[in-house]
Amino acid sequence: MDSIVGTADDGIVRELEHDDFDPVGTLVLVLIYMAILIGMWVFMYFVEFLGRGLTVVG
Amino acid sequence: MATASGGGEFVDKFPDEAAIVKASFLIAFVSLGIGAFFGLIQALHRTNVLRVIDSADYYTVLTGHGVLLAIVFTIFFLCGVFHWAVARSLDRPAENALFSWAWVGLMTTGTILATVAILGGFVPNLGMSADVLFTFYAPLQAHPIFYIGLAMFIVGTWLAGADWFLSYRAWRQNHEDERIPLQTFMVLTTMIMWYVSTLGVAVSVVFFLIPWSLGLIESVNPLLTRTLFWYFGHPIVYFWLMPAYLLWYTVLPKLAGGRLFSDPLARVVFVLFLLLSTPVGIHHQYLDPGIAEGFKFIAMTNTMFLLLPSLLTAFTVVASVEHGARQRGGEGYLRWLGALPWRDPAFTGMALAGAMFAAGGFSGMINAGMNINYLIHNTLWVPGHFHLTVGTAVALTMMAGSYWLVPQVTGTKLYSRPIGLLQVIMWFIGMVFMSNAMHRAGLAGIPRRTAEPQYQNFDFLTPIGSIFELRVQIALGGTLLFLSVVLFLFNILLTSLGEESDRPVDSHLPEPLSGPEGSPRVLDNLAMWTGIAAVLVVLAYTLPLAGIIQNGGGLFGGGLPVPATVSAGFDLVATTVTSAFNTLWGVVA
Amino acid sequence: MEIHAYEKLWLALALVLIVGFIGTITYGAAGAGIDMIDDKGGTVDPATLDQHPKFGDPGIERSGENSYDVYVVARQFVFEPGTTQPLRVPADSTVTFHVTAADVIHGFEIVGTNANTMAIPGQVSEFTVEFGEPGEYGMLCNEYCGSGHHVMEGQIVVMEQGEFDSWYEQQQADGEAEN
Repeated sequence: MDSIVGTADDGIVRELEHDDFDPVGTLVLVLIYMAILIGMWVFMYFVEFLGRGLTVVG
Repeated sequence: MATASGGGEFVDKFPDEAAIVKASFLIAFVSLGIGAFFGLIQALHRTNVLRVIDSADYYTVLTGHGVLLAIVFTIFFLCGVFHWAVARSLDRPAENALFSWAWVGLMTTGTILATVAILGGFVPNLGMSADVLFTFYAPLQAHPIFYIGLAMFIVGTWLAGADWFLSYRAWRQNHEDERIPLQTFMVLTTMIMWYVSTLGVAVSVVFFLIPWSLGLIESVNPLLTRTLFWYFGHPIVYFWLMPAYLLWYTVLPKLAGGRLFSDPLARVVFVLFLLLSTPVGIHHQYLDPGIAEGFKFIAMTNTMFLLLPSLLTAFTVVASVEHGARQRGGEGYLRWLGALPWRDPAFTGMALAGAMFAAGGFSGMINAGMNINYLIHNTLWVPGHFHLTVGTAVALTMMAGSYWLVPQVTGTKLYSRPIGLLQVIMWFIGMVFMSNAMHRAGLAGIPRRTAEPQYQNFDFLTPIGSIFELRVQIALGGTLLFLSVVLFLFNILLTSLGEESDRPVDSHLPEPLSGPEGSPRVLDNLAMWTGIAAVLVVLAYTLPLAGIIQNGGGLFGGGLPVPATVSAGFDLVATTVTSAFNTLWGVVA
Repeated sequence: MEIHAYEKLWLALALVLIVGFIGTITYGAAGAGIDMIDDKGGTVDPATLDQHPKFGDPGIERSGENSYDVYVVARQFVFEPGTTQPLRVPADSTVTFHVTAADVIHGFEIVGTNANTMAIPGQVSEFTVEFGEPGEYGMLCNEYCGSGHHVMEGQIVVMEQGEFDSWYEQQQADGEAEN
């Protein structure tokens, strides 16, 4: 089996120049990531952290 | 569009530089192997699955694991990648091959000294050990050659940086008005950040720890040396990350079949790292006495803004990968992911590393939170975090990148793509188990850096599952990670012993979609950015350090008074900084 | 400099996230009243800890109606008090800990809670917590401190006020008798 690394170019079927390309898939992924971040932060801060009994208050 | 590598590989064009890269990689990979083996011992020991050493020796193993992986492996690999990147992007050999070998030699000698000191900890009655862990906090003390070895290693890296700056200076003489080629820009900004940041640990090691370990001074101020360590200890994570980012920005798009989405944004990101990496170290000391809350808050805000370059990287890199997917025929909002070259281990390894970094970034955001730090400080959550970041985003990218880089410096094809693919997937799965379990264990309060976290007076509690299954996952994950390293080393070894090939690898790198011409020239003004970085460091550290020295027992701790002249010097700097602050505040408010 | 519209959106969201994180932490400090370990504990001479008026005889002392000070010395590989004898505190009390280390850097963690600090020779970590119902907590050292780091543990026993008062009086009496 051919073990030449880096041959993704061989699978190119169309060339997309700067103006041909809008990273809409990226936008979808990063928005999902942002939603996860916000959810996890709220859970960690308000449930895991503030929800614990003994906390340093002074 | 497929192109032949034509004109020969890197090893044909730059044989001397290829030799330096090979030497750097060799030391890096040997350290990786030993460090990974130590990691396996730890994973099985602390979970009580298999104990083959004394628990006291666990800390010797742990020191070896930290130093060999987080210092020797990562930084030697960085040196190999950077040496390749500078020669390639400037299209010129290094200024002086002997000088290059000198820094390789100095770093190697330092490594050997430090490693001998560490391994001496296994030999009873030898009187030489360094059971002080990667952070070597005083008053725990190592044998002097541990500190001397580390100092030599750091000086070696400074010389490596000089090597690359000299190449840049020579190139600049023939290219007066051009923008700095992107890869060299990344190397230079990373090295400036490194020079700024290693200052702290160099002062600590040279002026305090070496003389103290030699018996020339009686004591050191533990909070001072600890603070000087963390001055350096946070930026080192960017010294790990920035070579990985260099690969993600300049190589991963090509591996995906695409082009870098934006050169200017890559430059902005690296400038932000240069500015913000160092004035944040106090976030590793949120729970330290002797440092006022205000300084901790400043470190926190700086740290939170330091998230920005990484968040920007996420967008630019994913967009570049998406570009490749769509050039390969990908469609839809998420279906395009399937059009990516998942059979290529270099691509898949880096993609998995990037995905895992997204998770590691989150646990880092928690670590950065000043008061939520109480929840996880010094628990197993922290290693859970950094095995995702340095352990995967960096280490897995370095391994995956090797599948593409090593053939360029050996002229031989990768021995086996399927084994490479298996290796990167195994790493990812192993880390999912191990790191996830470490995070959950940390929330239960299980401490890090502990040989036997099984106690008499109390039990750890976890809301979901059990402590037992957390231990099993850590042991299982650690085992998969070790096997993954074995596969990697095997593959690379056989690659380097293989037959020379006409076309060992597709090493052509395409132009970015958006080139540097669209970005402000000021981005390339390295002197200016260096100056601003220095100012930010002075603002973040002068007052806390002054407080630690003046109120905390002096330069040397132990109740020894601060020499009068040093105290006066600090008073002057502290007064200047405070009045500058007040003036600025008055103007702004 | 040209930045794609989607990336500008992402940049804006990232900045909002960052500000949101800083805001949450500030809420924790100003709203929920969480205080950070800082320099208010002062400094001590680690070499003469045994002669220190408080750390020389570490333990709990009443400082007010329902408030107490606890002086803890961390050393290889015990907490004084806490390891050989559990540290006893009354239920529903406000306790201010003063923690220092005699030899190397240690960590002081009350397991399963947010009470966590470094113990650094020469420095005193001072922090206040409010204990609730009677019960038991584990303590452990979470900063590597040498070959016996993993045995460094202790216990906190939260007692009914009445029981605590009897125990406390007994401690005072024993102390008097010794002197």
